[in-house]
Amino acid sequence: MRTSEITRRPVVTMAGEDVAQIKDVIYAAGGGTVGGFTLAGRGLFAGPLKEGLAWESVHALGADAVMIRDETVLQPTKVVLAASRASGGSGADVLGSQVLSDAGLDLGVVRDVIVSVDRATGGHCDVVGYEIEASEALGTQGERVLIPLPDTLAASGEHLMVPASAKEFVGRDLAGFGAAVEAFRAQLGGAG
Amino acid sequence: MRFSEAKGRKVVSSSTAATVGKVSRFVVDPATRAVVAVELRKTQDGDVLRWSDITAFGADAVTVTDADKIGDGGEQVKALSGKSHRVLGKRVLTSTGDELGKVDDVDFDPASGALTAILVDKGPEVPAGRLLGVGSYAVVVRDEP
Repeated sequence: MRTSEITRRPVVTMAGEDVAQIKDVIYAAGGGTVGGFTLAGRGLFAGPLKEGLAWESVHALGADAVMIRDETVLQPTKVVLAASRASGGSGADVLGSQVLSDAGLDLGVVRDVIVSVDRATGGHCDVVGYEIEASEALGTQGERVLIPLPDTLAASGEHLMVPASAKEFVGRDLAGFGAAVEAFRAQLGGAG
Repeated sequence: MRFSEAKGRKVVSSSTAATVGKVSRFVVDPATRAVVAVELRKTQDGDVLRWSDITAFGADAVTVTDADKIGDGGEQVKALSGKSHRVLGKRVLTSTGDELGKVDDVDFDPASGALTAILVDKGPEVPAGRLLGVGSYAVVVRDEP
């Protein structure tokens, strides 16, 4: 799912109370996984909360709500941010970064981040791709396309480096994107 | 029996044979998945009747031994009363965070007060055994295994 769809989603306890809503996504492990979320209060005029939500405390990330056990799992935002930084999270926002292939081609500019929850690997929330505004190099200039990412990637806040072969696995909609990511990662795994 | 069917049913005292009120709303405890009390209207004093004080929840009337059983319901019932704990009309979320629809009606066993099913407006009914919580935002049910 797109991270832009996760923001503003309510955070709901198992007792059915909406204690917060998602404000922003915190990335961990070099931008490869979701480390947690910063939160805002519910309602039109509610500001940001001092508490954040670590990914480990998320019971489920659903289409309509982020479920947590109860409100005691919320931690101070500083703690959640520090934990993500410790694991190599850049903390920098990838939106607007330029995506470069390792062949030196500019593929486009990041407009959205695609994440997927992988139950097989202990329920990590993996960053599997970016929605980018395509550049000339992709032959579909100006269009929004989805580009799969390897398990780990280099991000500087200015540039994001992806293997040149990612170009071959560009998708247009989320429906077939999961398969494209798997194929792309399998190919990388095979080559390395 | 459905909440919608039972609503408006008269409550009759078996000692005086007089109607002491009418069923208006149900107070549900999500932990025990049962009706713990009914809220009444058109009563003399107080408006809550605890389930344990009901003699019988019959097809035509609810009977109580005496009108003095009707009161404020006590602490436990008060904590579960109010808009945020009401089930009808509330959105239904699964424990995985997906919305199933809104609660249309609730089915319960008139003999024990135990809930049997939650009827959702745009989906199949949810067995009451999956109920996890009722809060101000949603009714939370366990995801299907």
